[in-house]
Amino acid sequence: MKKFLTLLKIEGKLSLRCIDSIFFGVCMPVGIMILIGLIAGQNPTTSDAGTTLIQSSFGALATVGICATAFMGIPLTIADYRDKKILKQFFVTPVSPTMLLWVHAVINMLLSVVSALLIYAVAKTFFGYEMMGSKLAFMGSYLLVMVSMYSLGLLIASLCQTVKTANVVCSIVYFPMLFLSGATIPFEIFPKPLQAVAGFLPLTQGIKLLKSTSLGLETSLLIPLIVLFGSLVIGIILSMRFFRWE
Amino acid sequence: MEISIEVKNLNKHYGNRVAVNNLNLTVKKGEVFGLLGPNGAGKSTTIDCILGLKSFDNGSVQVLGMDPTKERKRLFERVGVQLQSSSYQGNIRVGEICEEIAALYHSPANYDDLLAQFKLDQFHKQPVAKLSGGERQKLSVLLALIPQPEVLFLDELTTGLDTEARRAVWDVLTDLKEKGLTLFLTSHYMDEVEVLCDRICIINQGHALVTDTVPELIKRSPYKRLEDAYLWVMKEEIAV
Repeated sequence: MKKFLTLLKIEGKLSLRCIDSIFFGVCMPVGIMILIGLIAGQNPTTSDAGTTLIQSSFGALATVGICATAFMGIPLTIADYRDKKILKQFFVTPVSPTMLLWVHAVINMLLSVVSALLIYAVAKTFFGYEMMGSKLAFMGSYLLVMVSMYSLGLLIASLCQTVKTANVVCSIVYFPMLFLSGATIPFEIFPKPLQAVAGFLPLTQGIKLLKSTSLGLETSLLIPLIVLFGSLVIGIILSMRFFRWE
Repeated sequence: MEISIEVKNLNKHYGNRVAVNNLNLTVKKGEVFGLLGPNGAGKSTTIDCILGLKSFDNGSVQVLGMDPTKERKRLFERVGVQLQSSSYQGNIRVGEICEEIAALYHSPANYDDLLAQFKLDQFHKQPVAKLSGGERQKLSVLLALIPQPEVLFLDELTTGLDTEARRAVWDVLTDLKEKGLTLFLTSHYMDEVEVLCDRICIINQGHALVTDTVPELIKRSPYKRLEDAYLWVMKEEIAV
């Protein structure tokens, strides 16, 4: 346990020294929250009346941190450490390189949770946000979305052999997920054909789940749950199949 | 005499290419053993197989009486390893990498003492990336000493070091040798091999050409220096 905590402390410091993980994981989502708050404030949403735009966007904004850590932080760190043979070096110590992967999973989880909490704090203090649904259900859904997206991030790390390809693939996955899933731009304002396409993104389903739990809606969540658990299982199985330490 | 490293009939191939061909090595406790050969001769592959980093076709490997793949955790409490051209986490500092590595062992060496011994103590707060090539190479040897190893593997230990730094590394290793450390190294510098090694094995294309003590090998060749003797063995390709 002491080993784990020392690694967590040092690797955590290294992550904080990287401006991009903090910017994309924490500053950007909080910034978007403030922006939406200033633009829309207490205005009702376009489609379903009865909720404010802040209320309907909260679930989506909470995933921006997950998106940054899952599709940038985790796969890029793993690809970089593999390229630099840092993972290999851990094989010739009494500790397994798996511990290093867990350390980074925890760092990224902390980062995205901090990001979600900050978004909540900003929304509540400055824009009078109150969660209508059950907080516990929301936290549970958030955790599911997080592990499911992380397994996809791990899959990217497993399939990309070099840092260069990992970089390209991460950008190709990260930006569409960010803009088309409804994480930043509300899904409802997309034209219907685009909605249909975006519906295939796992994160879109994750946001549906979070939105509905945060608003306390009584809609069927069967499809989002199937997609999220499906991504989780497929991500883990394929990562285990294709993962390379060097 | 106690045996530290034992390799029997080691074979390893990549596709059609034979990387290690029926290699046999025995390194006694307290001995300094050098594995020599041109680039691509199979030195790093051999080390990787001995350390359990790569699987091999057949043969057997034991380090301190243990199978490295089966008793990894126990073995690497007692074995230090410097891999060839190691690099580190971006923006990690010298003190931090030392602390991180030390945290992995039950009874690590005091890394501040090691930093002083290697004249790296003034870089404690400096990013590893800002060190010169030689300083970084010294750091990689230092990190391999943190476990207070009984057996130490060094792959190209002084590549990129200046004369003074090389001498400093030699002195530290000679000291440790007197305390009973077993050392397995690869090097392209024959002067270094002459200073450090008790016995050497010259390999080419994966198989051993010669295994002998340094003075014996020189005596067998028509030359007076190890470098000439080495080139002679390589040229003749004789399995002496």
